[in-house]
Amino acid sequence: MKTVVDAFTIALPVLYFWTVWAYAKAFFKDSVFAKRVKTPLLLATLVIHLAYLLMRTVLFNHPPITTIFEIMSIISFSIAAAYAVIEFQTKVKNTGYFILILAFLFQTFSSCFIENLSEVKPILRSNLLGIHVSSALLGYAAIAISAVYGFLYLMLYHHIKSSRFGVIYTKLPNLETLEKMSMVSIVIGFSFLTIAISVGLIWLPRAFEHFSYFDPKLIGTVFIWAMYGVGLGAKKTIGWQGRKIMILSIIAFAISFFSLTIINVYFSAFHKFY
Amino acid sequence: MNLVAVGINHRTAPLEVREKLWMSSDEIRTAIAALKGKPFSECFIVSTCNRTELYGVYNSNGNSSDTPPDINVLKDQLIGFKSAGSAVKREHLYHMVSANAIRHLFKVASGIDSMVIGDIQILSQLKDDFNIAYEEKAAGPFLHRLLQSTYHVGKRTRTETTITEGAVSVSYAAVELANKIFSDLSKKTALLIGAGETGELTAKHLVGRGIGGIFVANRTKAKAEELVAALGGKAVDFESLQQMLAQVDIVVSSITSEHYVITKSDVQRAMKERSHKPLFIIDIGVPRNIDPGANNIDNVFVHDMDGISVIIDRNVQKRKAEIPRVNEIVLEELTEFLNWYNSLQVNPTIHDLRTHFEQVRLEEVEKNINRFSAEDRELLDLVTKRIVNKLLHLPTTNLKDGNEESEEEKHKKLHIVRSLFGLHKEQSPKK
Repeated sequence: MKTVVDAFTIALPVLYFWTVWAYAKAFFKDSVFAKRVKTPLLLATLVIHLAYLLMRTVLFNHPPITTIFEIMSIISFSIAAAYAVIEFQTKVKNTGYFILILAFLFQTFSSCFIENLSEVKPILRSNLLGIHVSSALLGYAAIAISAVYGFLYLMLYHHIKSSRFGVIYTKLPNLETLEKMSMVSIVIGFSFLTIAISVGLIWLPRAFEHFSYFDPKLIGTVFIWAMYGVGLGAKKTIGWQGRKIMILSIIAFAISFFSLTIINVYFSAFHKFY
Repeated sequence: MNLVAVGINHRTAPLEVREKLWMSSDEIRTAIAALKGKPFSECFIVSTCNRTELYGVYNSNGNSSDTPPDINVLKDQLIGFKSAGSAVKREHLYHMVSANAIRHLFKVASGIDSMVIGDIQILSQLKDDFNIAYEEKAAGPFLHRLLQSTYHVGKRTRTETTITEGAVSVSYAAVELANKIFSDLSKKTALLIGAGETGELTAKHLVGRGIGGIFVANRTKAKAEELVAALGGKAVDFESLQQMLAQVDIVVSSITSEHYVITKSDVQRAMKERSHKPLFIIDIGVPRNIDPGANNIDNVFVHDMDGISVIIDRNVQKRKAEIPRVNEIVLEELTEFLNWYNSLQVNPTIHDLRTHFEQVRLEEVEKNINRFSAEDRELLDLVTKRIVNKLLHLPTTNLKDGNEESEEEKHKKLHIVRSLFGLHKEQSPKK
């Protein structure tokens, strides 16, 4: 089974690459072949990815949520799976390229650095941790998708404003739909992050001796969470619309990404296990 | 093939000339009645604002002579129906015969001969006008089959190519743009400023796409009320523009004015009031009605004729790129039609009939050959051949001798023979 897992570690980025390629071909070049294969290719990749995650769980005797690179693989899977759901639900089949490229990046990053660890520190064997990690992951996947739709919104927004009626104009859904897709993702993401932070605050002081409320990662995450909260509040009360909210969504995602990678790896005093 | 077509369209005559030949349903009816029998046994006329065309099949009744009708006489007749001799000259009309006429009709149905390329509204007009010919008993088996193929061309063009897609008029392009900003027009409202023709058309298309509400503001309110009566909406005071700007989501402006009707600060104020909900403004007035600087405000989209024409040009280019594909369809259908037509000739039918019988004979001989002794086998072959020949002798001579009867009778007979013996499938192996 170890050989299979190792093979999948290499195969997954390749599969994501071809999936992204097919979606790009379909979007930019209107390729009939790409249009036909893209969704089946995505589903096949998802099945293999799921098998990969399950096999890792069995082989190393713990769910792949203990290191940043294991988590990245799950984020990649969550993003791709969430996109598949969106595609089936909304029948908007054009935006895959922009979202799946994130899945591809996360998985590539993960595959490059992931280690085959069987031993897990005892503090990571907690029920609360399961809730904490899974809700955080779903939250991050949702805000990643929201940022992508925000990005697409801004692209289309500027193309319409400057009378550029090319591929972006023709292929993307309308602004209102993009904004709505982004907003729905933000609300979902914000809810999951709220759960993740609440559970984290209960679990962290119990699990770590050197727990500190001033840990960079903790501050970072709470800051992100607050930003989304302020944004959602502003939309409700001041009635922020369109462009501003979309820019906020992208900035918040950029900070989250920064927090999840750089801060987590280099600055966090605790909250890192490798 | 005794088909001839005479017509006028936007390529051969300007609007003021071709509109002189436009025919109403009743006029078409009268014209067909006059042409039927002499010189044509089958004929129909199609007439729209951009073309009037007459298609006729001659010499398919025994009475008329073999020579085709004089084209100039036909042209004069067509002009004469409308007594338009003073405006329309023979040079304004074109004519085509046999396969060329069919190819032309197919192209018309596919929209590549239209003034606005890909415009296939003509297809429904063709159906209506053909029905007149049918009611007047001027449509025989030939025209029936021809029109069937023509509809098929139109249908295939629509489903297999994208030549009918994308807005190519100002009003449609404006609505297409609105659809890229808003997801559900039924939840939006629009304001029409001025009662110009293009503005009115745009408003009509918006209503057609189910816009939630429409307001009309004009300097003379009576004109606005007139328009509202036709569109279904509400006339508002011209002075209340600012107030309306805060309410509606789409503004269509086509008014003649020296100064901007709406300034940037007007829009700025309105955006505050409407809590920055997106506002789409189409300015089709010349000179421009709306300060283009308003486009720099967040969530405000101002487009003038320049922007709209970019969309139109792009869509026209896209449609043009589809022409080769449409021509392929036309050619395929033309081949199919000619195959059918040729199958109705005497010699191929006799050949097919004989092949069919020979096949049956061979099958049966082969099946039963072992029941016969070696020396009898040759005899079996000979006898069965004789039987088949005898059976086919009379039908063959009867088919060949049909020269005195009318073309129509002959076609009917051949058609019956072919369907009785199932010879059609062998003739046209295509789908």
